[in-house]
Amino acid sequence: MFRANMRVYVLLLIVFSHPLISASVEAADRSQFPEAPLIANKPILPAEPPLHESIDRLIQNRTADYAKLASPLSNDAEFLRRIYLDLTGRIPTIEQTRTFLKDQRTNKRAILIDQLLNSPEYARFVAQRLDVMLMQRMNKKYIDPAKWEEYLRTSVAENKPLDQLVREILSADGTEKEHQAAARFYLARDGEVNELTRDISRIFLGADLTCAQCHDHPEVADWKQDHYYGISAFLIRSFVFTDKQKKQTVLAEKAEGEVKYESVFEVRDKTSKGPATTLPAVFDNKKIPEPVFKKGEEYKVKPAKGVRPIPQYSRRAQLGDAITTDNRRFARTMANRLWDMLLGRGIVHPLDADHSDNPPSHPELLDVLTEQLMAHEYDLKWYLREIALSETYQRSSANELFQEQTAKELSDAQFTHALLKPLNPEQYAWAVMEATGLAEVHRNSLKQKLNEATLRKNLLGYERQFVSLFGGVPGEPVKEFEAMADQILYLSNDQRIQVILPARAGNLADRLLKIPVDQTPQLAEELYLSVLTRPPLQTETEEVTALLAEKKGQDRAVMVTDLIWALLMSSEFRFNH
Amino acid sequence: MQGKGVTMRCNYACGSHESLTRRSFMGGTAAGALSMLGFGGMTQVQAAKKLAAQQKQVVVFWLSGGVSQLETWDPKPGTETGGPFQAISTSAPGVQISELLPYTAQQMHHLALVRGINTRENNHGKGAYIMQTGRKEQPGFAYPYLGSSFSSHLSPPDSPLPGYISVGAGGSSKEATFLGPRHAPLVLSGGKAPANLEMHASMTTERDKLRRSLRSKVSQRFEQKRKTAHTEVYNESFDQAAALMSRRDIFDFSHFSDKDVERYGKHDFGQHCLMARQLIEKGVTFVKVGHTNYDTHSENFNFHIEQLGEFDRPFAMFISDLYDRGLLEHTLIICMCEFGRTPKINSRVGRDHWGTAWSIAVGGAGIKGGAVSGKTNETGTQVIDREVNGGHLFHTYYQAVGLDSTEEFYPNGQPIAKADPKTEAIKEILA
Repeated sequence: MFRANMRVYVLLLIVFSHPLISASVEAADRSQFPEAPLIANKPILPAEPPLHESIDRLIQNRTADYAKLASPLSNDAEFLRRIYLDLTGRIPTIEQTRTFLKDQRTNKRAILIDQLLNSPEYARFVAQRLDVMLMQRMNKKYIDPAKWEEYLRTSVAENKPLDQLVREILSADGTEKEHQAAARFYLARDGEVNELTRDISRIFLGADLTCAQCHDHPEVADWKQDHYYGISAFLIRSFVFTDKQKKQTVLAEKAEGEVKYESVFEVRDKTSKGPATTLPAVFDNKKIPEPVFKKGEEYKVKPAKGVRPIPQYSRRAQLGDAITTDNRRFARTMANRLWDMLLGRGIVHPLDADHSDNPPSHPELLDVLTEQLMAHEYDLKWYLREIALSETYQRSSANELFQEQTAKELSDAQFTHALLKPLNPEQYAWAVMEATGLAEVHRNSLKQKLNEATLRKNLLGYERQFVSLFGGVPGEPVKEFEAMADQILYLSNDQRIQVILPARAGNLADRLLKIPVDQTPQLAEELYLSVLTRPPLQTETEEVTALLAEKKGQDRAVMVTDLIWALLMSSEFRFNH
Repeated sequence: MQGKGVTMRCNYACGSHESLTRRSFMGGTAAGALSMLGFGGMTQVQAAKKLAAQQKQVVVFWLSGGVSQLETWDPKPGTETGGPFQAISTSAPGVQISELLPYTAQQMHHLALVRGINTRENNHGKGAYIMQTGRKEQPGFAYPYLGSSFSSHLSPPDSPLPGYISVGAGGSSKEATFLGPRHAPLVLSGGKAPANLEMHASMTTERDKLRRSLRSKVSQRFEQKRKTAHTEVYNESFDQAAALMSRRDIFDFSHFSDKDVERYGKHDFGQHCLMARQLIEKGVTFVKVGHTNYDTHSENFNFHIEQLGEFDRPFAMFISDLYDRGLLEHTLIICMCEFGRTPKINSRVGRDHWGTAWSIAVGGAGIKGGAVSGKTNETGTQVIDREVNGGHLFHTYYQAVGLDSTEEFYPNGQPIAKADPKTEAIKEILA
């Protein structure tokens, strides 16, 4: 324990004691090879226990009786379904399931994790998760969402360091064609300073500062009005500008404009000393000083009617670095958000309430995750891989204690068991299409043209349908799990779902009906492996056998269809468990 | 270039400047009481009657584009701004409204007028936002709309019916904001019932029952050793869906009598009013009905003859029918729009956008019929008595249906005042 801590400490010393050296080397590299492919350079690190081992140690040490309370490791089938959903956004095909279950190699889980991390589905799916985090399914404004999605997808595919991605997004103003898509973050919010202040602090800094706009946060002692306006100050001079000739809308900036604020409490109590102002600053980090220009020389391009002004000094251009460079709070928020993505709950929870009155469930672990994410230069794949390799991630969601009244001891915050994560709309759509064999039908029909992009294009309609029904309120962060009657009506009665269930060459019902009538155990196995990614229990095989007994022709076809629906609609299917 | 947002712009999103102590938020007292009464074992008719007796409901008539206050609730005949129409007496002693609303005039004893509105907003979207959320738009923070708020306060939590239905008035899931999709408007587009209330043509009741019971069995096996907080919510939604299917009668709009159709008119608005009447009768909490084409920048008077000619009778029939059926006393009626129209008549014989001095009508539950609040000057160019804005109106709506408008919402543990704490209810029109 002590030794392990020492190692982390030494590592930190190495990384943090030379910030100047490493920063200048980095800068030189970037300028020398501006067009170099954006691949995360793995720094050479001293020998240390892999992160996944630290995760398990710190999770286990935190809870007395952890060993007694914890669920066993998931079995192969449970792990397989979970890792496919988490890293590729769909359940495995029946062939993939059979292959994995048969595989006798002891390290087959690690092999699969690596394989999935390098799949095109990973890039697509993780980009979608990042999209929802950044944009909360906001509607189209100025920038084509498809281009933004493609920008995120290629970024994830090339494993662009997360800090770099965020820097790019916060630096894009939409003027350069190649970075235009990245400007969606600002432009979809119309460049509005309060909306941006709220979302930047929530998403990147783990702090919902909404209540600190008018006064220090009344319930969170850590959050001051200064913090709110420190962020606002980066953006107060920016505004949306439409160039009518170029037919292009961009985020422009002026050379002047300051935030001014005073506490409405002090105004009310007549104790205010008048409006205050602040230079840009990210929380308690240093305020960013700015150059002074002679009057009349503040602009590269002066403001005029129909002209986009360009100031000599851009406040907004400082934001990307101020958020992402040497900012532990950013690293901690990202570490926590990515942890939540796989575990279903943040170590700081809720994700945007990171303050001293709401301490992390595992402070030491969050420190290590934060430090390691920074030390590994925000290597997204490496980080997700380490979490996925941990026993903590691989625990079963089933726990004998849940059968007893004492299950209250099992708090989600202790990570003694895998949490049930509701399938997000994209996962849900693709899981349904995979389970029913619709995806397979399309794979077969695409033949040589088959790849991730063509398959998705063919089935995008279903994905969209699920997003519109299960995607929540546009512009609002995703809330607690909510299930609505109209969703169930769609799944139960809508033509678009009902039509994919019955037999059609190559789909699940077709495969099931081709199994000889006297081989119902085989049928039950095919059904359960396809839909629930596990073999049926004995009782389930018997149940299927009983239901199909004596059923022939159309009756049998109908029963098979209804069995598929019943499994698809089960809670076991609805959640990533 | 004008410096943007350099002065402090605080709209008290969190309401915390008024009260730092947390008050407990009882998700709508009426709803709470109702769910305790329990509807188990009652027939639908009995249940509907009980619902009607206990539950407050709300109907908004939304006259999109901005109806002219001078041609409706605050006529100024014989003045330079008054236009060609006369004022007529109504069933409320001393209250006169435009002659373009003869049927409505006969219902004025059920309605109160607010003639002193000044929302300081002449933009359609922003005006609509003020009138439907009770606040000025505040970037970075989204208040829930009236329909979503009342759905969350007044709908029984276990009701199979949607809490907020929009008929011919549009609506977006965004209106619910932090109250969640459960309180987003169900938009009946084209006056049709929502999708998928009927079983699929290929399905039979027997098969459906069997597949549902199979679904439950598979789920129960899974849930045995697992935490069930989420799965319970999921399984309940199947019951809700089944309940909604069994109550799809509320959306069967094919049985209006010829007489009703004649009284309400065969046009879309008349049909939509009949639909709203049925939805209210069946216990839906909040219904929004739309009527459009009031943005009369030119030919204001001809357009108002035409539009109000369509609006007046079904609106009056609706009030009268609700009264006859005993529904009016617990149904709040609000007839509003995004703003009024300029007293000044422009060169195209039109009136332009005008948020400075205009009127709305409210009636029914909790409202003092025949009351008038606020006054504009002789030519209607400014409010001279009892000026109010969206905040006052929101306090009034809340209190009319028996809710405490000074309470707060607690999304994510942050207090959000339900109605602007700088304003208060228009007491003189409350019963």
